[in-house]
Amino acid sequence: MFSKESKLEKFKDAETVIGSSIKVKGNFQGQGDIIIEGSLEGSIKTEASIYIGNQAKIVANTESKDIIVNGEVRGNIKARNYLAVGGTAKIYGDIQYGEISIEKGAIINGQLLLLSEEHKRGEKIKPEDKENALEK
Amino acid sequence: MHVYIYDDYLNKGKYHKTINRLEIRLTDLGLNGKIIRLGGIKNIKGTVQNEIRLGAKTIIAVGNNQTVNKIIGAIIDTDLYGDFQKKTLLGIIPIGDDNSIAASFGIKNEAEACNILLARRIEKIDLGLVGNHYFLNQATIQSADTTLEIDDYSIEVSEKGEVQIINLLSDKDIKIKSSPHDGQLDVYIKTRKKDQTYLTAEKLKVSNPKHKLVIDGILEIETPTEIGIIKDRVNIIVGKDRLFE
Repeated sequence: MFSKESKLEKFKDAETVIGSSIKVKGNFQGQGDIIIEGSLEGSIKTEASIYIGNQAKIVANTESKDIIVNGEVRGNIKARNYLAVGGTAKIYGDIQYGEISIEKGAIINGQLLLLSEEHKRGEKIKPEDKENALEK
Repeated sequence: MHVYIYDDYLNKGKYHKTINRLEIRLTDLGLNGKIIRLGGIKNIKGTVQNEIRLGAKTIIAVGNNQTVNKIIGAIIDTDLYGDFQKKTLLGIIPIGDDNSIAASFGIKNEAEACNILLARRIEKIDLGLVGNHYFLNQATIQSADTTLEIDDYSIEVSEKGEVQIINLLSDKDIKIKSSPHDGQLDVYIKTRKKDQTYLTAEKLKVSNPKHKLVIDGILEIETPTEIGIIKDRVNIIVGKDRLFE
């Protein structure tokens, strides 16, 4: 699903690329695919996919549909659809995922949690809706 | 009515043959019109505005990037801008060096420019804005020690190289999807480490304690400064080989 070739194909039209000599600070949000080879502190979120290169250093909560991690991430990861953890990845934080693959050599220090179908679709049930349902 | 505005550097002898050839070609194509030479005119703004008032259908900048910017600067933010946008088109005939703006529009030389004027393929183009200065192509600054503030985040560049804030892409070697009518600026950073960064923004703040921001290769501006974009600001006659869709 996320072989090297398919990754390159998928990300060749990425909307945003952060190079290895770039440092991003703050809350980074996008709509399209994002490639990160540099460092980022804060949070990162997109409706599409995120590729974290093996030189990348992320100190942030990361949320997206699909995520590929080959670098270092310190923070929580939420991949609503698919998370691919490469052999060079170092993840220090909790992970929520729809589906996951982990390559030999990867370091993960945190909890793994499978997302429910509702969370995979990005639909959150509001508290008042829950209460209404219980009353009925 | 066509109004041709010749930049003053075209008075130099080395351009006489080119100008003669151009004028013969324009006459052959039935595109002849009024010629205004900027040499000796102090009030460019007043001159250009007067021609729009008199009903100029097309104003053609004959010269280089600076000529185009002078004419745009004379039109935008005036009482006549509404009239210009409704009735008048801007054409470009590039002569000499420093013609990246024309190249971006697919206008390679003066001969081709005449055919493009005849074809009248029109595009609405965004304009970049730095303070009171407009730009068509891009604003650039050296990358080392540059900070960009965009929305809720900032970008710091430590390596030497160049930051380009692009409205209209003029460098064919930069392989990014860039459009001068999407209401977005493209931020492109290339450093000596050969790595590339690109992203889009509607507005950003640029700071660099050592270097100035350069607009369209002409005007230097101190930082920190804000850069924005105004969508579909000018109607320009473009060639079919333009560098955007």
